[in-house]
Amino acid sequence: MALWMQISSGSETPIYQQLVEQISGAIARGELRTGDKLPAVRALAAELVINPNTVARAYTLLEQSGLVTTKTGSGTFVSDPTLRHADAAQINALAERMDTLISHAVNLGLDRGALVALFEKRLEKFASTLDKGEAENG
Amino acid sequence: MAEIVLETKGLTKYYGAKPALDHLDLRVPRGCICGFLGRNGAGKTTAIKLMLGLLTPTAGSATLLGCDSTALTPAIRQRIGYVTEGHRLLRWMSIGRLEEFQRAFFPKQWDGRLFAEMIEYFELSRRQKIKHLSNGQRAQVSLALALAPNPELLVMDDPTLGLDAAIRRQFLEGMIELIMRQGRTVLFSSHILADVERVADRIVVIDKGVLRADCPLEQFRMSVRKVVVHFENSAPADVELAGLLHFRRSERQLELTLVGVGDAEVADWAARAGAERFDFVEMNLEDQFIEFTAPPHRRRLFQWEKA
Amino acid sequence: MRFLALSRKELRESLPWLLLAGLLLLGVGLLILRSEARFARMDKQHWSSRQALGPGEVVNTYALVRSPHLTMVAMWLAFIGPGLGLVLGVCHFWVPLFARTWSFLLHRSTSRMSILGAKLAAAILGLLISLGLVWTGLYWYACRPGLLPIPEPIQILIVGWVYIAIGLVVYMGTALSALSTARWYTTRIFGLAFAALAAFVILLQWHLGWVLVLTVLAIAILFVQTVAAFLSREF
Repeated sequence: MALWMQISSGSETPIYQQLVEQISGAIARGELRTGDKLPAVRALAAELVINPNTVARAYTLLEQSGLVTTKTGSGTFVSDPTLRHADAAQINALAERMDTLISHAVNLGLDRGALVALFEKRLEKFASTLDKGEAENG
Repeated sequence: MAEIVLETKGLTKYYGAKPALDHLDLRVPRGCICGFLGRNGAGKTTAIKLMLGLLTPTAGSATLLGCDSTALTPAIRQRIGYVTEGHRLLRWMSIGRLEEFQRAFFPKQWDGRLFAEMIEYFELSRRQKIKHLSNGQRAQVSLALALAPNPELLVMDDPTLGLDAAIRRQFLEGMIELIMRQGRTVLFSSHILADVERVADRIVVIDKGVLRADCPLEQFRMSVRKVVVHFENSAPADVELAGLLHFRRSERQLELTLVGVGDAEVADWAARAGAERFDFVEMNLEDQFIEFTAPPHRRRLFQWEKA
Repeated sequence: MRFLALSRKELRESLPWLLLAGLLLLGVGLLILRSEARFARMDKQHWSSRQALGPGEVVNTYALVRSPHLTMVAMWLAFIGPGLGLVLGVCHFWVPLFARTWSFLLHRSTSRMSILGAKLAAAILGLLISLGLVWTGLYWYACRPGLLPIPEPIQILIVGWVYIAIGLVVYMGTALSALSTARWYTTRIFGLAFAALAAFVILLQWHLGWVLVLTVLAIAILFVQTVAAFLSREF
């Protein structure tokens, strides 16, 4: 499976978090689809030249947030999105992050129209996953 | 509970009246990559040499693979790989002769194929003499000599000092390759925090001969934090908070550097101090290390603005 | 296997010096002996008046006139022997200090005593072959019938070997100086100074018996000191 990952050391973001963000981003954008196998822990660690425990930790976190499932012996696979449900706390946290984004845009001088247009434009990147989600949710 | 491959108990070393190492209590479990951090002259090389039986402790003890460091048996030494500071190898020998020499000490476990592959990868020839190699090439040979015996414990003293980024990466690759084999442990001292963050899962911080931290890397990353506290009117001139390393003050803000202080405690203190709000600032490992090992009440080296 | 690897390494390291010393001795020795033989042929009368060593006469290292020809070669050996000992001591013990290779050398899957033993063995073997063999060869050559008019006494052979043994004494003295961790240079030089003193005392003796006894004593004392220093030293 061709997922090229990049980590940068010396960043404020811990490496495992960078992995989580990249993988979850890829899943959200549809680059990784349901049932796709993530690289084996050791293979990814060797390729990125990082400790295998770091990769394992990232995979564990992804599993805890329901994005992937691990089958012992086979590997780690992207899980079925229809089985994911956001609870109230998660939606609240998301709302707060949106507030940060919006305040940043406001400080830059964007008006409502410009902000919405920008938002729609960026949504295109995630079209495949969103539309599929919509179709499945009816 | 993982087996402990390296342990020191009250390890102390005095040079004259000055302690180079003061009651070091360390435990390195099997299977980890342990990054040994400390400023120059903190005592890292002294600690490593004590562990390998090259120095005798003034007090305390060190145990390697269950054997006391002052009495390491040949059988134990065979299980330990050691990359010395500066990669000082026998200068007049050729790479081939040096391999023969090293191989004689690891008769049953020498991986000749790995050595040959590494030398080829580094674009070196067996006929080249060590004295004609550059620092980087010597380091590469040193790495090959240390990995070919397939050691159970690999100890490296500042292995990437003065090396270019590509060779540093090769050393990291070597460490990762080794750690993926069953039951291997790596201990390396380094000043390149970015490298340590990549491969280490535990870190040990030594400061002026004293142990300051011995924990999983993640724990250190989560413990040393900066928080900017905003005040409506005037920020307090003094801060009373357990775990405070340093603080900086400007008109309406305080920047606190903390270690081992939880979110709740920060919130608690902020409320008591009458703060408007507070935000955590993320730091990279290098900044965390600098803050952690800086002396208290330090000034900046250069003063750009007055007051 | 390991000991062999260690001693082979030490021997290879000092090979150029061993060759130099051996060839120097051989060259000087042959030159002197052959010119002596030539003079003897040219002036048979003068040569026959020189006395051979009588029975019961002793040889001392100063009044080597009793040994008619090899004495001059032995004077060279008196410098080459200790000189080689000094050079070997520097190679084995000072060079690792300056090149900072002790850490690498000491982390071997063998005892510290073996590491020291290999160095000593290499030094002894080196002295034996490069000087001992050549000197004995020169003695055998000098004793060949018809070459020289006056026979060489066996004592001169022994004296030459004593010079080589002093080489070993100087070797260990050099080693001791390198292993010393004293801060003052005067104290560090102690090992070498002791070896030099021993050499002088030995060379001043009038009796060959005493020469041998003192040489063995000097070697024994320095050996014990060197072993103790090496085993306890911090690197």
